[in-house]
Amino acid sequence: MRLCCMLVAIFLSLPLAAGELAYDLQPRQIATDTWLVEGSTENFAADNGGEIVNVAFIVTEAGVVLIDTGISRRYGEALRAAIGRITARPIALVINTHHHPDHVFGNQAFADVPIASLAGTRELLAAQGAAFADNMYRLLGDWMRGTEVLLPTQTLEPGVREIGGHRLRLLALRGHTGADLAIFDETTGVLFASDLVFYQRALTTPQTPGLDVWLADLAELEKLPYTLLVPGHGPVATGREPFAQMRDYLGWLDGLLREAVAAGKDMNEAMNTPIPERFATISLTRYELVRSVSHLYPKYEAQVFRRVDRRE
Amino acid sequence: MTIRSMGLALGWLLLSNSAWAGDADPLQSPMWSFHQTRFLGEAPYEFDDRVVLSAPPFAEDSRQVPVTIDATALGQEVVRIVAWAELNPIPHIFTFFPTGPVAPRIALNIRVEQATPIRAAVLTRDGAWHVGSTRIDAAGGGCTAPSAVRAQEGWEEHLGEVFGARFAQGDGSRLRLRIAHPMDNGLTAGVPEFFIERAELRGGDGAVLASLELHPSVSENPTLTLQLDGRDAGQQLWLRDNNGNEFEAAF
Ligand SMILES: [Zn+2]
Repeated sequence: MRLCCMLVAIFLSLPLAAGELAYDLQPRQIATDTWLVEGSTENFAADNGGEIVNVAFIVTEAGVVLIDTGISRRYGEALRAAIGRITARPIALVINTHHHPDHVFGNQAFADVPIASLAGTRELLAAQGAAFADNMYRLLGDWMRGTEVLLPTQTLEPGVREIGGHRLRLLALRGHTGADLAIFDETTGVLFASDLVFYQRALTTPQTPGLDVWLADLAELEKLPYTLLVPGHGPVATGREPFAQMRDYLGWLDGLLREAVAAGKDMNEAMNTPIPERFATISLTRYELVRSVSHLYPKYEAQVFRRVDRRE
Repeated sequence: MTIRSMGLALGWLLLSNSAWAGDADPLQSPMWSFHQTRFLGEAPYEFDDRVVLSAPPFAEDSRQVPVTIDATALGQEVVRIVAWAELNPIPHIFTFFPTGPVAPRIALNIRVEQATPIRAAVLTRDGAWHVGSTRIDAAGGGCTAPSAVRAQEGWEEHLGEVFGARFAQGDGSRLRLRIAHPMDNGLTAGVPEFFIERAELRGGDGAVLASLELHPSVSENPTLTLQLDGRDAGQQLWLRDNNGNEFEAAF
């Protein structure tokens, strides 16, 4: 399998090798001391290099706090160079909000500084990182060259942590992967929600412990007095619209799965459910519905199926 | 293994080029005529939109890919449905014999080892085959992945447990169920074939309403959706694996 992936990666790299594969990362200031590298709302593809995720950093008096590192070693290196063009201050701390590849596979570029995450994130990355890497090499080819899983070196506890004049409130939540960190900068009012909030991009469910858990996390985040919200994917917002969209979408998905199972539909019927017009502005809804039905249908079936064999 | 069987198939294809008959394959797969000969023999066939084969365009989990085959447009004429995944190391998925009140419609989850065409060939009373096709993209490895069932402590104690329910659908009903079984295909090192090879849906009087021959391209803990005329309860499901274990469930 791995050999197969490598061959695919080599094959994909051949026509690209002549051109220069380079990420053109342009950090944009979104608040005091605060910068965003905004990814597209597309899926991973060889033509975007996996530049589909939001990465942010805060330039504090004690150095730069970086929130997530992107999809590849090459991305991480480009990110570090881009930060260096904005500030001469050193990187003080790198945070991995959760273990998904687009948030942690740039870690190698920061191997000389502390990389911190929730304990659960480190465990999940240790268990699943190799499989993620296989899949990303398949999807992105040469963009991934040299990328290996580098685990976080420090464990974050929830609570307030002061770094270089910024009071960062760390929230340990679970809805997206089972170990999801959100960061509220009380000093600037910026909430870094990471993948607990997708905005104008369909949310992904491969590791969610349950849509109800995710909804509870959103209720907690929405209470925070933020002035700017940075989602994991999609544009920043000053208002509450991303929360309204998330609740609406999660509620629709939960209802769809519940009703499809209750009606005796099979998985393909559920995957082909019409998507409401009001979600037309959200990218990749059909693609993610196919994935979500794959991930979640058995859990919903289990709530309706009962034991029918004669051994009972 | 796959490469070898493909090589054989291509060799056969070159030899038998002149023997081609029937419709052109809408998927233009080099493996079509190899499997057509294997499963349909000399019988006439056509690619037929009345055989609706639904599957997602890509496998999110190569070990559990949902496939639905609906030949209800061919109604009571259906005698048999054969399904296969062309590029799987074990291509054959199942052969299904619906009768009387059981509709020619079936849904289950399969494994795919790589991106592959999927076929469903439906035999009607006149001796002709009607073929539905689709293609599934996949990261692959679904057939050689280690068993998730065997990773569970004490899985043997749950062998043959059936969870399911009956659902009213218009004038008819659906039976949906999941059977606890590893469905080992013999392709993982040290684990011999161990799979449910036969299922029968029987009426309250014991008469066989439909029978199903399963192969280990079917996923572990197999799911099954069947459709029946009428809403009367009382059917029984009988299952047997290749080790001779028999299991029964009632709906
Ligand atoms: Zn994520």
